[in-house]
Amino acid sequence: MSLDPKNEIVPAEAPRGAKKVPAPLKPIADTVLAVLAGNLGARVPNDALDDSVADVGQLINQLLERHASAEHRKQVAAHEIDQAIDALSSLVREGDLSQWNTTTEDPQLVPLLEGFGKVIETQRTFVREMNEAVLRLSSSANQVLAASTQHETSSTEQAAAIHETTATMEELKHASAQIAENAGSVARVAEETLGAARAGRGAIGEFIQAMQQIRSDGVAVADSITKLSKRVERIGTVVEVIDEIADRSDLLALNAALEGSRAGEAGKGFSIVAAEMRRLAENVMESTKEIKNLITEIREATAAAGTAADASKSATESGEKLGAVAAQAVEGILAGVQETSDAARVINLATQQQRTATEQVVASMAEIEDVTRQTTQASKQSTGAAAELSQLAGRLAELNKRFKAD
Amino acid sequence: MPSENVLEVIQAGLLTPLPRSPSFLLGVTGHRGQVIPVMDILRFLGKGEARVGSRTRLFLGTSGSYTVGVVADAVLGLRRLPVADILPPPVGGDAAVEHLLGICEGASPQDALALLNFPKLLQSARQRAVVR
Repeated sequence: MSLDPKNEIVPAEAPRGAKKVPAPLKPIADTVLAVLAGNLGARVPNDALDDSVADVGQLINQLLERHASAEHRKQVAAHEIDQAIDALSSLVREGDLSQWNTTTEDPQLVPLLEGFGKVIETQRTFVREMNEAVLRLSSSANQVLAASTQHETSSTEQAAAIHETTATMEELKHASAQIAENAGSVARVAEETLGAARAGRGAIGEFIQAMQQIRSDGVAVADSITKLSKRVERIGTVVEVIDEIADRSDLLALNAALEGSRAGEAGKGFSIVAAEMRRLAENVMESTKEIKNLITEIREATAAAGTAADASKSATESGEKLGAVAAQAVEGILAGVQETSDAARVINLATQQQRTATEQVVASMAEIEDVTRQTTQASKQSTGAAAELSQLAGRLAELNKRFKAD
Repeated sequence: MPSENVLEVIQAGLLTPLPRSPSFLLGVTGHRGQVIPVMDILRFLGKGEARVGSRTRLFLGTSGSYTVGVVADAVLGLRRLPVADILPPPVGGDAAVEHLLGICEGASPQDALALLNFPKLLQSARQRAVVR
């Protein structure tokens, strides 16, 4: 218990006063001195006083009674104030707002304590709301952080994807350039093929003409062979006649020789002549035999030639047919090559357009990549800020935890 | 054939076969108004048979009052032979040998000649035809 020094009652004048007190008043003075010394329960004993001062003693006692009760009230109030100060200091020290339930009996202190209670109640509500707000803030900051992190990750992934896409588009550009080149060479080759096929068509036309010439020549050859074989037949007939004549001459000469031999010595010369004639006929017959052999050979040769001519005719006919088929095929090839050439040209054009488009896409992708890089940067910053925010929210929550509202 | 037995050499014309005649008698043919029988010596001697074509020769052989056409494979010609060169036919052998007059050796084995005994041939032919 600490009292203000001004309020302290110092019995400094007691010895001086005591020297002046007359004897009848001595018990009164002693009692007052004891009260001043701190013994509030001290009273002037009634029996120790004279009747003259008994009333004064009575009054003094009443006064002392009042003083004691005032002192008591003052002590109680000081005690309650001490309690309140204790509670406040502990409130300030520990932040515990829930412990405030200080009461008083002193009507003068009631408004003060009630005011304190109201302030603390307001503070408690405030802390409670702040707690809630901090919790929300923390969770929101966490959400923001998570979202921002996710955004950062996704934007990084997006950047990677865009990078890959750009690389792919580059490859596509190269590939389309390659395709354009290939299509160009295909068109060139198709043009060459077209020229070659045209030359082939001309050559086939000439071939067919030559085949027709060969066929007409072959027909002429077959005619000649037929004529030749007819002539040879006629030669054979003539030779047959000659042979017949020679045979008869032989017989005649033989019979003449017989007759000559029958005539004896006189027919000897006749016989010799007949024998000569016979030899002549035999020579003729030998010659005709050779001619016949030759004719047979000629016949065989002409037959072979006729067969060969027929074969040549059929061969040239099939050659003509094949030539016609080849011409048709070459026509088909020409048409196909023409189409191929056109298609290759179209492909070339389309791939060139594709290349241009791809270049535009590549440029756009580069811009997108740039933007994405900025976005990534921004989202990184945003993530940092969100992390800081989250930290701050945590710190705020930590700070707010010092105040216990409930 | 000795030339005294040969009248003429002719070409085989149309042969008219005779019914119920021996197989060696091929038929008859006409020559200068005469009907002449034609025989095949090869069949007669049992040495195969002659083929008759348009060029086939017949010689008209004669013996006594008979004239017969004989189918010849070929008529080689006339040859003058000294009688001294004619050798007797070989002894034994088949039926052909008994109708031979003799044989004559030439310079080479191919030139060797067999001389037909035509009168005997004709006689035995007539006998065989009658026997039938």
